[in-house]
Amino acid sequence: MRKLRPLLACLALSGCHGRQVMLGAAGRDGSMFANLWLVFLIVTLVFYALVLIGLVWAILRRREGGEPATRTGLLVWVGVISVTLAGLSIASWLVDRNMNRAPFTGLTVEITGHQWWWDVRYTSADPSQTLRTSNQLHLPAGMPVRVILKSADVIHSFWIPNISGKQDLIPGRTNDIVITPEKVGLYRSQCAEYCGLEHAHMAFDVTVEPLADFEKWWAQGLLPARAPVTPLQKAGYAYVTTRECSTCHNIAGTPATGQVAPDLTHLASRLSLGAGTYPMNSGHLAAWVADPQSAKPGNKMPVIGLEPDQLNAVVSYLESLK
Amino acid sequence: MSSPCRASLLALVLLAGCDEQARDPRGHPLPETGPLLSAAMNPARPDPRAVDYYKNAFEVSQGQQLFQWMNCSGCHSNGGGGMGPALSDTKWRYGSSMADIVQTIANGRPNGMPSFSGKLTQAEMWQLAAYVRSLSQHVPQSIRSGRTEGLSVGEPSTLRDPHPPRAVTPKQDEASVE
Amino acid sequence: MAQRWPKLVLLVAVGLVVAALVAFLIIRGTGERAAEAARTPYEQPALAKTAAGAGAHPAGQWYIPAGDYASTRFSDLADINTQNVGQLKPAFTFDTGYLKGHEAAPLVVGSTMYLVTPYPNVVYALDLTKPDRPVKWSFNPHPNPKSQGIACCDVVDRGMSYDNGRLFMVTLDGQVIALDANSGAQVWRTPVADISKGETVTMAPLVAAGKVLVGDSGGELGVRGSLKALDEGSGKVVWKAYSTGPDKDVLIGPNFHPYYPSDQGKDLGVKSWPGEAWKQGGGTIWGWISYDPELHMIYYGTSNPGPWDAEDRPGDDKWTAGIFARDIDTGQARWFYQTAPHDLYDHDAINEMILLDMPVNGTMRKVLVQPGRTGFMYVIDRVTGQVLSADPYASMTAYTGVDLKTGRIQHNPAEVPQSGRVTRGICPAAPGGKDWNPSAFSPRTGLLYVPHLNLCMDHVYTGANYISGTPFLGVESKMYAGPGGYRGEMTAWDPVRRKPAWQIRENLPLWSGALATAGDVVFYGTLDGWFKAVDARSGKLLWKYRTESGIVGQPISYRGPDGRQYIAIYSGVGGWVGGLVSGGFDPRDPTAGLGIFNAVPDLAKYTGRGGRLYVFALPR
Repeated sequence: MRKLRPLLACLALSGCHGRQVMLGAAGRDGSMFANLWLVFLIVTLVFYALVLIGLVWAILRRREGGEPATRTGLLVWVGVISVTLAGLSIASWLVDRNMNRAPFTGLTVEITGHQWWWDVRYTSADPSQTLRTSNQLHLPAGMPVRVILKSADVIHSFWIPNISGKQDLIPGRTNDIVITPEKVGLYRSQCAEYCGLEHAHMAFDVTVEPLADFEKWWAQGLLPARAPVTPLQKAGYAYVTTRECSTCHNIAGTPATGQVAPDLTHLASRLSLGAGTYPMNSGHLAAWVADPQSAKPGNKMPVIGLEPDQLNAVVSYLESLK
Repeated sequence: MSSPCRASLLALVLLAGCDEQARDPRGHPLPETGPLLSAAMNPARPDPRAVDYYKNAFEVSQGQQLFQWMNCSGCHSNGGGGMGPALSDTKWRYGSSMADIVQTIANGRPNGMPSFSGKLTQAEMWQLAAYVRSLSQHVPQSIRSGRTEGLSVGEPSTLRDPHPPRAVTPKQDEASVE
Repeated sequence: MAQRWPKLVLLVAVGLVVAALVAFLIIRGTGERAAEAARTPYEQPALAKTAAGAGAHPAGQWYIPAGDYASTRFSDLADINTQNVGQLKPAFTFDTGYLKGHEAAPLVVGSTMYLVTPYPNVVYALDLTKPDRPVKWSFNPHPNPKSQGIACCDVVDRGMSYDNGRLFMVTLDGQVIALDANSGAQVWRTPVADISKGETVTMAPLVAAGKVLVGDSGGELGVRGSLKALDEGSGKVVWKAYSTGPDKDVLIGPNFHPYYPSDQGKDLGVKSWPGEAWKQGGGTIWGWISYDPELHMIYYGTSNPGPWDAEDRPGDDKWTAGIFARDIDTGQARWFYQTAPHDLYDHDAINEMILLDMPVNGTMRKVLVQPGRTGFMYVIDRVTGQVLSADPYASMTAYTGVDLKTGRIQHNPAEVPQSGRVTRGICPAAPGGKDWNPSAFSPRTGLLYVPHLNLCMDHVYTGANYISGTPFLGVESKMYAGPGGYRGEMTAWDPVRRKPAWQIRENLPLWSGALATAGDVVFYGTLDGWFKAVDARSGKLLWKYRTESGIVGQPISYRGPDGRQYIAIYSGVGGWVGGLVSGGFDPRDPTAGLGIFNAVPDLAKYTGRGGRLYVFALPR
């Protein structure tokens, strides 16, 4: 069993790749941090090796009393360690200084944390281009983005491990962080400050894409929700936009104008459901609508108690909101 | 008193408090148990489920959040009233029982209270009713919030006097010339 | 018989001319004597004058709440003057039977006085020829009681208008009704508001050029505000101008020439909002409309944008919180000036606009003067929409000034409210430097008499949820007395010199209108029920009378059938601030009544509920 431990550790570490990795180096800050980490790793490994070599040498060549040569060696050793530590500190300071200092280019995203989901608003100098969505972030590759962070209830923390460091969302305060995603890809952000029962299920998907794709996505996001087509979708539309759903959720272009829950205008185009809790598909959607308190216990969506045919209709309509 | 006896007594006291703090996010009774309003029509027999809400701190706090989200506070403020009547005083136009309040929320009232039937679930209405009662100290003190939120920096609701100051009677006409 | 007619007519005509001449000489004489007696240090070289053509006023009568189209609230009767006003006594009173805020102005046409009560908007016609002033007829329009629940600030009615044998009234649930003034019979009835969306009507309609102009209330409920022009004869809607949305809905066409570039552009009523927010964007019209018959233009202000939480609506939020000039026949907009772009504090622009002709920098200009809720006294060229000056007349921390080059109001960044964090010490508070209660202007003194407020507030944004027919605010607010500790102020403002001539501090907020008379007396009421007369030139208190309840009405003056001058005022506390007493609310909640009750927690010590008309006259 004892022999298996390093193996288990390796297994655990092997989980750290892909969409939510601290050393993913998919953003400017992330890259700098990964480089710094690598420098620390190499330097400390070298010194670890030197210490071990010294230890072996000392054991093999041990003798009584001190020797001037050894004393000189020790002095040199202390000097080398001091200089190296100072070098690491300076490297760390430089990286820290450069983090969150990317030139601001104009793209600003405002994120408000709620228990337990993310309200996302892309702002623009032209207010009619303001895009509101939730639980997802699309970012253009290579462009610094200023993320303004607010909280509607308790302290949350914004963290896209692959791209940048953390920044807290504090009620009554406005924080910000500038992040520069560099590699196109799909990533995952996770709330990094314990914020209540469903803290672990407060995540969102981050899509880093070329600027042209990003602009296309923004333009599509501004469109009102698709009109229902099939009779089933129409029945779902009638329920969603007039009943309990509409009291809390907003669907642009429909009478559903609630503002206290995630925006559903293009719900089905998102990758996940319930703030990164489940992948987006019909099965999960149906399970969520039917009994959100079993899907994510404690979240603020009530159990409505839909009849089976109502549930079918509602899910069919929600699925059409691409 | 022996120490095991003392310990079990203490445990009993602690457990007694647990009901007030229990949280059941699915709402109780469960929605599938059918409409709750049938009993509300009969004031002589109060709905037995009402007590689950107004004697539970979690439900009252959920009601407090809904009170903001559903714009109740837009008319009733934090109990003092404005567009709608005050809820923190001792006057009840349409009855003070949990069932009466749920009726008011569900069906509205002729002098302006809108109907939330089909807009809120039954459980949410009961939560709201429990919070509304807490505004005028009609729930046990132990489950009321001991602090006030936001700008309502008056006395905490646990310390508040349920009787507001009385309005004076209109003054007699009097004239004076300077 | 046929030959004797012309002679009779001639005789009558000559008699009338002589009588008019004599009356004119008497009035002029008394007025001059009064002026001489009351001479004080405040004299001006150049006087502002009532706009030519807009000040016409039926002699000794009161047809519309503002008295005339220029909104001067000036009575040319001078029997009651600074010398004898101290002898004023109640001539008669009338109980309306309702106990909400009595904000309306009585009207006097011929020998009949017309009154309208707050909800349920009952109309009474009083026969002034008989000593008991009996009710000739009354009319109950039976508005929908549900409308009471969506009226933001008490169920008030700000008055009616009279023209050509008909009375035009509104009901709280949004019906415009024309009544035969002689019989009280309904001539037509047109609904113009939908209470399920939160729309109500509290403003006094204005009748001009064959049209009845009516707006709506509900800026606190996410209403999309609009002004309607109804045909005076049939009640059919002739045009309807929204305050938000695409240009065709706002009636913006080729004749729209706003003075400032920020108001120029296509469909700004959509583009200056995020997404579809303009559909619940407010901009209601619940205040006053002035009319310039020479320019054929009407002037009115739009209310705050919805919701109050400004973080939910980035952009300028056009065309809310601004002043529109429109052609009265077509409704087409001529110019627009936004007093509060991206309003942060509920600073509507609905206050009265007084049309004056006055010298500005040495040249005579056609202007409109508005004591704005922002706390600035705006002087605007009413032909072009250019702001000629904007000077603060109330305590101010929220703004630092108005940039006359761009027209934009300048914010103090320290007082910009935020979500989740309380911003303290914002002056003026949400009701502004002055709320709806209208000022009066005297062409004899050239001064504007402004009953206003001295309130500040703490404000925090909480995020708004839109549910049709419920409030759309997203704000918690708490108001209190401004610097100096007093809450109301009567300011006599000299529009030419751009400074106050005199000021009177009042303990309680001033929520009543003002009246200026040719006898150089200014009348106004206070929330504790005092009806006061002050010297128009010095502000010296000449007379006061304690009525049964707080005064939030609009005083008027008329000549009765017996030839005497009367002053009439409603007493009956209510409205936004007075609702604390009339609605029986609980001032222990500092956020109650959108925060205003915290400013008057002591109101119940000074006044109870009431609803009574008081009419005063000099003893015979």
